[in-house]
Amino acid sequence: MAREKIGALLLLLFSLAYGLLATRIPLSFIAQDETFTARTMPYGLAAAGLIISLLILVLPTGDPDGKKTLKEVTLGMDWRKAIFLVGAMVAYGLIMKWLGFLIASVLFLIAGFYILGERRIKGMLLASIPLVIVLWYIMSKLLGVYIAPGEIFYQLGIL
Amino acid sequence: MWDGMINGMLTGITTTLIPLNIAMVLFGCFMGSLIGMLPGLGPITAVALMIPVTYGLDPTTGMVLLAGVYYGAIFGGSTASILINAPGEAATVATALDGYPLARQGYPGKALAVAAYSSFSGGTISVIFLMVFAPMLASISTSFQSADYFALMILGLTAVSAFSGRGSVLKALMMVVLGLMLATVGTDQTSGVQRFTFGSLELLDGIEFLLLAMATFALTEALSIVLTRDESSDSFKPKAIGFKSLAVSKKEFKLIAPTIARSSLLGFFIGVLPGAGATLGSFMAYGMERNLAPPEEQKKFGKGSLRGLAAPETGNNAASSGSFVPLLCLGIPGSGTTAVMLGALIAYGIDPGPRMFTDSPEVFWGVIMSMYLGNIFLLILNLPLIPYFARLLAIPKNFMVPMILFFSLMGVYLVTFNDFDILMMVLFCVAAMALRLMNFPMAPLLLGFILGGLMEDNLRRALMIYNDSISFMWERPLTLGINITTIFILFFPIVRSFMRSKKEDGKKEVAV
Repeated sequence: MAREKIGALLLLLFSLAYGLLATRIPLSFIAQDETFTARTMPYGLAAAGLIISLLILVLPTGDPDGKKTLKEVTLGMDWRKAIFLVGAMVAYGLIMKWLGFLIASVLFLIAGFYILGERRIKGMLLASIPLVIVLWYIMSKLLGVYIAPGEIFYQLGIL
Repeated sequence: MWDGMINGMLTGITTTLIPLNIAMVLFGCFMGSLIGMLPGLGPITAVALMIPVTYGLDPTTGMVLLAGVYYGAIFGGSTASILINAPGEAATVATALDGYPLARQGYPGKALAVAAYSSFSGGTISVIFLMVFAPMLASISTSFQSADYFALMILGLTAVSAFSGRGSVLKALMMVVLGLMLATVGTDQTSGVQRFTFGSLELLDGIEFLLLAMATFALTEALSIVLTRDESSDSFKPKAIGFKSLAVSKKEFKLIAPTIARSSLLGFFIGVLPGAGATLGSFMAYGMERNLAPPEEQKKFGKGSLRGLAAPETGNNAASSGSFVPLLCLGIPGSGTTAVMLGALIAYGIDPGPRMFTDSPEVFWGVIMSMYLGNIFLLILNLPLIPYFARLLAIPKNFMVPMILFFSLMGVYLVTFNDFDILMMVLFCVAAMALRLMNFPMAPLLLGFILGGLMEDNLRRALMIYNDSISFMWERPLTLGINITTIFILFFPIVRSFMRSKKEDGKKEVAV
């Protein structure tokens, strides 16, 4: 199946779900009599999404690039590293509150370098620690932006 | 009209020539060149990455900086195209057609210098056009009503889709609709009703535009480098370029001068069209130059022709300036990058559109005048720095990619201080990556998202004025004119492809 048809199918389902969710947008008693409510635009967009995605599905593919299958396009791609990097980003979001900006950022950068094949510890430390400290210094000391320390420091009684 | 223009220019000069703004133009050009040069990163990413820096600045200074980043990134992208045949974005693909062969033949310095002079000339000439046409359009558009605005936004979104390339119109339209859908998330400004928030407090204010821009461009482009095993920069030897090799002879200047003049004119007017932008500007300029060239010169195109290099370089810079016309006068972005800049304008609390011309003339004229300065800075700063900038291309991707990811995530986190936003960015990045793999373009999504709120507001107001009737779509002559243009733009590619297939069928019948 052409890759753009798969995309169209997914977007068709998304538009359908969006339209169904739009019916649940609460309306006040007065708003129910109005022509243009908070639901009007979402209804219009859901209808447009359904029609356009259906047209992409039904009409022949005009774009030669879109005719390729997903298998053809993704052949030889480095999924392992990309998935690990996405995982590192998720972990970064989760540990930020607990470890704070400085530690979480250094860990994220080192993890990123490692995932992409870097093994020189000195290089990884030199590329991450000064960068994060300079950024933190500019934000908190020069621009006066308050960056909260990690929760862990309160839990351990350090702060 | 001329009095107004001269007064505006004076406002622009006094605004631009304060030390902070001069420093910001310089900083913007420098950072734009730096980011734009990194393989895989284009002007949209460069501008999005720099927006958090502008949040502490006043709107004029912020916009001046972003404008500098924009044309700096275009120039930086050309450097990567010429040296390693890795265009950061579509607008510099045409530059690689003749720039890379020239570099391979042993003239990387000459190719970079021609690109720099062409960019400078294209940018400067088109700013003169911008100065004349922008106030004219802005003064006409002061008579615009909500109905016209709504129609104009539809026109802008349709044009973006129509110019997206053969067979991609429906896909681009779908992405516009998806962007508009994402714009409805959050609290409805008029009724105060929550839409698609799923009870989450973080979604009450809707999705932050910077978050979406970073996730769909910066993060996705960085991940693409890893996914596709892009090794384009690995074989690059930065020591290959010396200062002496940057020299361009008088004869060569004479050869490219008419090309620059023609491409500037064409590029500017293409840039003015909503949705066309620098990509179309560069390709059209390249195509025009190839058609105009004598047969002997035509043979050199694609093999290292100086005219073939100067034309797209001039065209994309001229179109970049041209795309500021709809942005500054109508509040309608002409390209993905100007869409991000429109988002920044809204975030600064400035109402984009014709009122900006009268309410915030310092922003309007400040941006225009800063472009002169930016073009001069780009030439005198970048040309001597090219050999050093080029060393950036030798940074191993092991270090470069995590740093891009870090700066993108930080750009959003240090504005909102909400770790939920990091997770949301990852979610949007994965979705955008999947859509890219399925060949759906991302720029129309961003455009739809940014215009979504304004579009709904204007439609609501227009319906109120016309007693809940959509008759405004054909009763107001101006709205009707815009709608007819929209229909023409939408159906022109369909009619053209129908005519083409009919012609091909006719040829086949004759052959049989």
